[in-house]
Amino acid sequence: MIFEMKHITKTYDTVVANDDVSLHLNPGEILSIVGENGAGKSTIMKILYGLEKPDSGEIIVGGAPRHFHNPSDAMAAGIGMVQQHFMLFEQMTVAENIVFKNELRKGLFMDMDKAVETVRQLSDRYGLKIDPKARIADCPVGLRQRVEILKILYQNAEIIIFDEPSAVLTPLEVEALLDTIRGLAKAGKSIVLITHKLQEVMAVSDRVYVMRQGKVVAERMAAETDMEELAMLMVGHPLASYQIDPPVPGKTLLETRDLCLVENGRKVLSDISLHVNAGEIVGIAGVSGNGQSELIQCITGLARSTGGQVFVAGADVTNRSVKAIRDAGLAHISEDRYVWGSATDGTLEENTLMIRQDDAPFSKRGIVNHKSIRDYAVRLIKEFNVKASSPVQKMRELSGGNAQKLIVAREMSLDTPVLICCEPTRGIDIGAMEAIHRRMLQRRDQGSAILLVSSELTEIMSLSDRIYVIFEGKIVGEFTRGSMDDKHLGLLMVGGTINHE
Amino acid sequence: MNYLAQVINSTLREITPILLVSLCAGVCSKVQVFNIALEGTLLMSAFFAFLTHYFLRNIFLSVAVAMVVAMGMTFIMSFFIVKLKGQPMIVGMALNTFARGFTTFLLSVVFKTKGAVNPSDLKGLTKLDLPGIRRIPFVSTMFSSLTVIDYLAFVLAVVMFIIMYRTVIGFRLRALGINQSAASSLGINVPKYQILATTFSGCMIGLAGCLLTLGRNAMFIQDISGARGYVALAANNLCKGHPLGAIISSALFGFTTALAQSLQGTAIRQQLLQCIPYIATIAAMAFYNAYAKAKAKRQAA
Amino acid sequence: MNNERNWKRTLLAAVDTITQPLIAVLISFLLGAVVILVIGKNPLLAYGEMIRGAFGKQVYLMNTLKRATPIVMGGLAVCIAWRSGYEAMGGEGQMILGAMAAALAGYYLPLPAALRIPAALIAAAAVGALYSMFSGWLFEKFDVTFVISTLMLNYIANYFAAYLCNYPLRDPDANVYQMQNAQTGKLGPEAILPPIVKGWVHWGFVLAIVAVLITWFLFKKTSFGFKSRMGGLNPRFALYGGINARKMLYLVMILSGVMAGLGGAFETMGSKSRYVDQMIFSTGYAWTGMVAALLANMNPIGTLAASILLAGLAVGGSTMMLNMDIPLEVCNIIEGIITLFMSARMIRIVAGNHRRRKQAKGGSEA
Repeated sequence: MIFEMKHITKTYDTVVANDDVSLHLNPGEILSIVGENGAGKSTIMKILYGLEKPDSGEIIVGGAPRHFHNPSDAMAAGIGMVQQHFMLFEQMTVAENIVFKNELRKGLFMDMDKAVETVRQLSDRYGLKIDPKARIADCPVGLRQRVEILKILYQNAEIIIFDEPSAVLTPLEVEALLDTIRGLAKAGKSIVLITHKLQEVMAVSDRVYVMRQGKVVAERMAAETDMEELAMLMVGHPLASYQIDPPVPGKTLLETRDLCLVENGRKVLSDISLHVNAGEIVGIAGVSGNGQSELIQCITGLARSTGGQVFVAGADVTNRSVKAIRDAGLAHISEDRYVWGSATDGTLEENTLMIRQDDAPFSKRGIVNHKSIRDYAVRLIKEFNVKASSPVQKMRELSGGNAQKLIVAREMSLDTPVLICCEPTRGIDIGAMEAIHRRMLQRRDQGSAILLVSSELTEIMSLSDRIYVIFEGKIVGEFTRGSMDDKHLGLLMVGGTINHE
Repeated sequence: MNYLAQVINSTLREITPILLVSLCAGVCSKVQVFNIALEGTLLMSAFFAFLTHYFLRNIFLSVAVAMVVAMGMTFIMSFFIVKLKGQPMIVGMALNTFARGFTTFLLSVVFKTKGAVNPSDLKGLTKLDLPGIRRIPFVSTMFSSLTVIDYLAFVLAVVMFIIMYRTVIGFRLRALGINQSAASSLGINVPKYQILATTFSGCMIGLAGCLLTLGRNAMFIQDISGARGYVALAANNLCKGHPLGAIISSALFGFTTALAQSLQGTAIRQQLLQCIPYIATIAAMAFYNAYAKAKAKRQAA
Repeated sequence: MNNERNWKRTLLAAVDTITQPLIAVLISFLLGAVVILVIGKNPLLAYGEMIRGAFGKQVYLMNTLKRATPIVMGGLAVCIAWRSGYEAMGGEGQMILGAMAAALAGYYLPLPAALRIPAALIAAAAVGALYSMFSGWLFEKFDVTFVISTLMLNYIANYFAAYLCNYPLRDPDANVYQMQNAQTGKLGPEAILPPIVKGWVHWGFVLAIVAVLITWFLFKKTSFGFKSRMGGLNPRFALYGGINARKMLYLVMILSGVMAGLGGAFETMGSKSRYVDQMIFSTGYAWTGMVAALLANMNPIGTLAASILLAGLAVGGSTMMLNMDIPLEVCNIIEGIITLFMSARMIRIVAGNHRRRKQAKGGSEA
C-alpha cells in the first residue's frame, strides 16, 4: 500500500463533503474515483494533497501517518496533482514552468540551457513530446496538461492524482492522455484518476471506488464491473429519463444567417446559419472552445459580429445593444454564473432585479419600488426552491447549485419567446440539475424556443429535439432526435467526416 | 549649441529621479502590488536625506537614512496591501497624505518655516567630473555637475534588468506576478516574496529623494517631490515594468520637464509651462495606447 | 431561526461598519498624541484645544461647517464615482476649475442681480462636469487609467488656475506689491452666498446637505443607483443585464464632476468671495473629502458626518496651533493614519480568523 486514508470526515458549514471515507492505493496501480458532481471525490483528493484539512481521520503515506498543511508537504511526500484548472505561467516557456521552484542555477543566475535539456530528457523518458522552449500561451490545452504532468514528474512524484483531466480535452487528446496514464503506471508511478466519465474509467483503471453524497458506496475491480453498474452506483437509482413528447412544430423564433466573427485576425465563427422553432430545444454540441461562447455572445449582443444577421422573434437584432435584443424577446442563462451571470457581492434581491430594473412595477420613471422588488425576489426564491435564508443576503453565500437556480429563475421568469441556456447545469448537484432540466422541458412544451449549449454530451442528447454540431467555428452537422448517433456526433465534434456508404 | 547641451544636461538631471522611482514601480508592478505611495515615499526620503545632512553633515549617512526611510514607507505600503488586503489606491493615498503632513510638520517644528530651507553653508552631493571629457566643450556641459547617483541610476536600470530577467529570484518574482495561485500551489510564499521585493526596491526611491534635496545644493522645499512619483507611475505604465524601457519612458518626461524649465523667461508664463510635463504624460499614454490598439488591429487584418 | 439569523447578520454588519472607523480614528489619535508628546507638548491639552476650537463656540462650529462644505462635495464626488467602479481621483482638479469658473462668472457676467448666483453655480457645475468627462473620455477611448489621468489633470488644473489669477484675470484692484497669493476680482454682494442667519454658516452648506440628500436618493431609490452599483460590483454582469456601460460611465463622471465643481463654487462664493491662488490645492479639500467618503464606506449621509468631523479636526487644529504652538499638520498626519487603517479590513480578517479557529475546534471535538 503506497498510501491509505482512514475514516476521513470533512464538513463545510452545514454540508458534509466527506463522511467517514476510507481508501487506499497500491503501488503501480491505476485507481479511479468516480461519482457525480458534489459526491466528494475532489474534496478527498484535496485533503490528500494538502489543499484542505480534514476534520477528522488519518492519512498514511509510505507507512507513516502524515499531516499535510499545504501542497508542498504533499509534494515532499511524493504526491503530485494535475489540477482541473491548470496552474501555469502563461507568458513563460514550457521549461520555465516546469523548473519553477526547483530551478537549475549557475550561482544566482538561471541556467536555462540545462533546464531545457533536463525537460527534454524528461519528456523523452516518459514519451511526453513537447517543445521546452514553446510559450505556454501558444500551447493548446492538451499540451498544457502535458506540462502539468511533466512538472510533477520533474519533482519526482510517485503518486499522481488527475482531477477530471479530460474535461477540457478533445476526444483525440483524451486518447493520448489515457496512453500517457498507462505509460506512467508502467514506469512505476501510482495513479489516482478522479472523473465522472465512465468510458475512461473502464479503459484504464485497475480498481474503482464509487462515491455518492460524501461516502464511498462501492469498491470494484475494473475487470469485474461494467459501466451500467457503475452508473447505477453513482446515481443511487436508475438514471432519470425525461418524458419528452414529440415536438409540435412552430414558427422560427431564433435564427442566425451566415453569422461571422473575426477576432485578432482569426475566424472564430464562419457562416453560422441555424434556427430554433417554437416548442423545440436545439442543442449545440461541440468540444468547448470551438466557438460556442462567441456564437452566444454574438447572438445576445455581448460581442459584435463581423458579418451575417441575427433574428429574434422575427426582428433583425444584428449587433443591436444587449437591451434591444433582450427586449425583442430573448433571455439568456450565461455560461459562467459568476463571471457574467451575477454580482457575487450584490444581494439576491439585486440579482433577481437585474434586466427588469427599468420595468414597471419595479421602477417607474427611474424611481424604484422596493416592496415590489422584495416580493418578486421572495416569489422567485420560493418558486424555484432556492435554498436561501433571506432576500437581502449576498449572492456569494449561496451554494453553486442554488446560485444557478436563482439565475435560471430570473431568466425564465422573463417569459420570453427565446431562451438561451449555456451550460445550465455545470458543476451543480443532481437535484438542482434535474429541476433545471424539467423547467426547460416545461418551457419547451409551452412553446418557447430554447437553444442549449453544453459541453456534456449526455445533457444535449437527452434534452434536444435537434442538434447542431460545431467544430472550429463552423456548423458541421445537424441531427434530429432519433437520427442521433453518439459515435457520428463524436466524430463530427473533432472534425471527422461521416462516410455514407 | 551650448544652449542645447544645457538642455540635455537638465534633461539628464530630470530623468534620473523619475527613472529611479519608476524602477521601484517596475518591481512593484511585476509582483502585482499597485504602488501609488511612490509620491509620498519620495517626499519622505527627500526630507530625511536633507534633515540628516543638515544635522550630521555626513553625506553617506544621509543617503543611507533616505534609503531606509523609503524602504520603511514601501514596507508599510506593501504590508497593508498584501497582508491586510487594503485597497491599494487608498493605502497609497493615505501614505501620501501622511507624508505631506509629516514633512511639513517637521519642517515647521525644526526649521520654523513652511516654505523653503536653503542653508548656504550646506553642500550637496559630490559632483562627478569625469576626467576624460572635461576638455571637450559640448560634452563637458552635457555631463557637468552630475552626481554619482545620477550615473548610478542608469547603472541600476541595467542591474535591475539583469536581476529581473536573468537571476533565479527575478524569475520567481516575474512568475508569481503572472499567476499567484500557480506560484503558491508550488509552495511559494507569495505574500512574503511580494513584501520583500517591494521593500528592497524601495531603496531606489531613497536615492531619488537624495537627488531632489541634495542633487545640486542642499535644500528642501515643501512638496519638493512635485508629482514626480505620479509621473514615474505613468512612466512605468508606458514601459510595462521593463527596467530598460524605463530609461526611455522617463527620458520622455525628463525632457518635457527640462523643456518647460528652459522656456522660462520667454513669453510663455511659468504656470503654463509647468503644465507641460503633465499634459505630456497624458498625451503619451493616450498615444501609446492608441498606437498599441491600432497595431493589434493591423496584425489582425 | 430565519429571522434570528437576519437580525444577527444586520447587527454584525452594523458593528462591523462602525467599529472599523472607530478603531482607525483611535489609533490615529494615539499616534498623533505620540507626535505631540515628542515635540514636548501635552497631547490631552492639545486635543482639548482642538475639540474646543472645532465645536466649542458657535463661531467655531460655524467655521467648521464652512470648511466642511467643500469637503462634503468632494466626498460625494468620490462616492458617486467609486461606487460605480471608477476609481477616479479628479475631484481636486474639478473643484479648482469649478471655484475659478464661479469666481469668473460671478465677477464678469453682466447679469441681473437675481441671476448671478445661479449663473455662477451653473458655470461651476458645467466646468466640473466637463473636466470629469474628459478623464472619462480618456479612459473610454484610450484606456488611460483613471489614477494617472485624474492625478495629472489635478496638477494641470491647479497650474492653469494659477496662471489665470496671476496674469489675465488678476484682480484689477489688487496692490501689486502686496505679499500675498494672487487672486481674481472680489465678487459683488449679489454673487455671494449669504449666511443663513447672521453669524451662521453660508447657504452653501445647506446646498451641500441638499446634494447629500439627492445623492442618497439616487443611490437608494432610483434605477440609476441600481445600475451604477451593479456596474461597480461586476461590469460584465451589468453588460449582460442590458445596462449601457458607456452611458453610465459618462453619467457617473458628469454627476461626480458636478458635485466637485459645485464644491469649488461654494468655497468661492461662500467663503473667499473670489478665487485665490492655491485655495483648493493647499487646503486639500478634495483629499479630505475622499477620506470622508472612505470612512463612511461610500454612504452619502455618513460622508456628511465624516466631513464635519474632519473639518473640525482642521479648524480645531488651527486653534491648537495658535494657542499651543503645535503645527497644524498634525491634522494631516492624523488624517493619513485614519485612511491607512481604514483601508485594511483588519477587523473582518481578525473576526474571520477567530471564526475559523472556532470552527476547527468544534470540528475536532465532534
